[in-house]
Amino acid sequence: MSTSDLSVSAGRVLASGRSTSLASSPLLLRLLAGLVILLLWEGVVRGFAPAYVAKPSGVVMAIPKVIVNPAFLEATAITLTAVAQGLAIALVMGTIIGLIMGRSVVVERMLRHYVNGFYAVPMIIVLPLFSLWFGYSGAARLATIVFAALFSIIVNVADGAKSVPREYLEVARSFRSGRVRMLREIVLPAAMPYFLAGVRLAAGRALIGAVVAEFFTAIGGLGYFILYQSRTFHHDEAFVGVMLLAAFGVGFEVFVNWCTRHFMPWYRRDEKTD
Amino acid sequence: MNVAAPTTSIARAKTAGRPVGAKARIRVKGLGKRYGTLEVFRNIDLEVGDREIVAIVGPSGCGKTTLLRCIDGLLPASEGEIWVNDQRITQPIASVAMVFQHFGLFPWKTVYANIAYGLKLAGATTAEIAERVPRFIAMVGLSGFEHAYPYQISGGMQQRCGLARALAVEPNVLLMDEPFAAVDAQTREILQFELLRIWESRPTAMVFVTHSIEEAVLMGDRVVVLKGRPSGIHETITVDLPRPRSRGTLREPRFAELRERVWGILMSEARAAEFHLEK
Repeated sequence: MSTSDLSVSAGRVLASGRSTSLASSPLLLRLLAGLVILLLWEGVVRGFAPAYVAKPSGVVMAIPKVIVNPAFLEATAITLTAVAQGLAIALVMGTIIGLIMGRSVVVERMLRHYVNGFYAVPMIIVLPLFSLWFGYSGAARLATIVFAALFSIIVNVADGAKSVPREYLEVARSFRSGRVRMLREIVLPAAMPYFLAGVRLAAGRALIGAVVAEFFTAIGGLGYFILYQSRTFHHDEAFVGVMLLAAFGVGFEVFVNWCTRHFMPWYRRDEKTD
Repeated sequence: MNVAAPTTSIARAKTAGRPVGAKARIRVKGLGKRYGTLEVFRNIDLEVGDREIVAIVGPSGCGKTTLLRCIDGLLPASEGEIWVNDQRITQPIASVAMVFQHFGLFPWKTVYANIAYGLKLAGATTAEIAERVPRFIAMVGLSGFEHAYPYQISGGMQQRCGLARALAVEPNVLLMDEPFAAVDAQTREILQFELLRIWESRPTAMVFVTHSIEEAVLMGDRVVVLKGRPSGIHETITVDLPRPRSRGTLREPRFAELRERVWGILMSEARAAEFHLEK
């Protein structure tokens, strides 16, 4: 509804003398803006920058070459596997710690400031420590990913667990649910919206964590691929890697939304009940 | 006229008197509840028989819902004690089930899973659940909606689901916390008679908290009026209307008489409460 309102008002602004059908389609407007940005980029690079600086036409030309490059494919697989592993560890640990923190005042008081502190710490500053502890290895990268993802899950799940409607807990107590069971069967599903928000944040941070670790420790992976390509003046190739990272971000968002619709049909609709 | 003089036939008692059933299922003795300096009620004595419905009415904020939560073991009492099935209540027990004003359905569970929830916690096997849940779904008239989520069904149907969840654990005490207060007037009437029908088929001890006087008289064998600050049992009215009760009950002169009687007691209190607030 709001998008059509916007496009209608945008249409009115642009409509003076121009074709309204073009201006009233939000998709067309978006594509148009993208095209303008790409053209500007192409023009500026062609006009003022050295030949090795990435430009849209170069990136497009590089795509077929890069995506069949075994080194690129291997790097992508390594990074994605590490992100998946780290995210899984962070999800399980973060959910358990978050649930307990949200429902236990004592645990909450003990951990709150530490969790918030670590959540705010830029993940880069723990890298030297992690590479000392784990060496320049995949383990250092995994630790960075977990560190990057864990606290956003804890913070969100704890908030969600805290804001579970009292009615649900009352029903569970009335039917004699134990505390652990209540966490699993009532608090966790009720905190799902918060959990999902945490997962979205965590996925982005995990990806950044992986790339940052690869930048700094020069262990193989997509981050290292990008670093290597740009240091050897293959900016177009490096940009394909950057685009892939961006695509992962978008793809994960789509995946989470699909899961929400598919596995939680009740979510966002339960407000209608009253 | 042809009706006996109301004042002589209506039982009045300082405490809630003797239960109708053969033995007392619920015994509340000298119960008091305080939140810090705020005393909600004090010195409540109440017995409920094993096949008796006691309706509790009172002005808003008199603590009737708090009393019910104490009986369920959800809230600790400040004074006195509660016994259900000769068991001292300190926490919720298995043979008591509660129906909530807010329904308390879990939005992520289907009707079927919501009704199975209490059974699962009571340790029922998968086979028992598969046998019982459809039976109670049919009993409350929700057949065909097993796999609907709460957001997909009306308020009345949601409370049918809440009722089935409570009934499914086959409790011998049912606690009703203004169960029909959140549904519209027509649905409310339908649900009242459905509940009476279900109760007739499997009578239990029931405490029915409501702020509808009609509902209290229609449901209860006795109507307990809570009153005062802190509140206590002000009066107990025995409802000598025959069971099974139906829509016809509403037309009986005796029903109107009892309703007026409770109304009179409550309204004097409501006025006092109003002036109390205005001071």
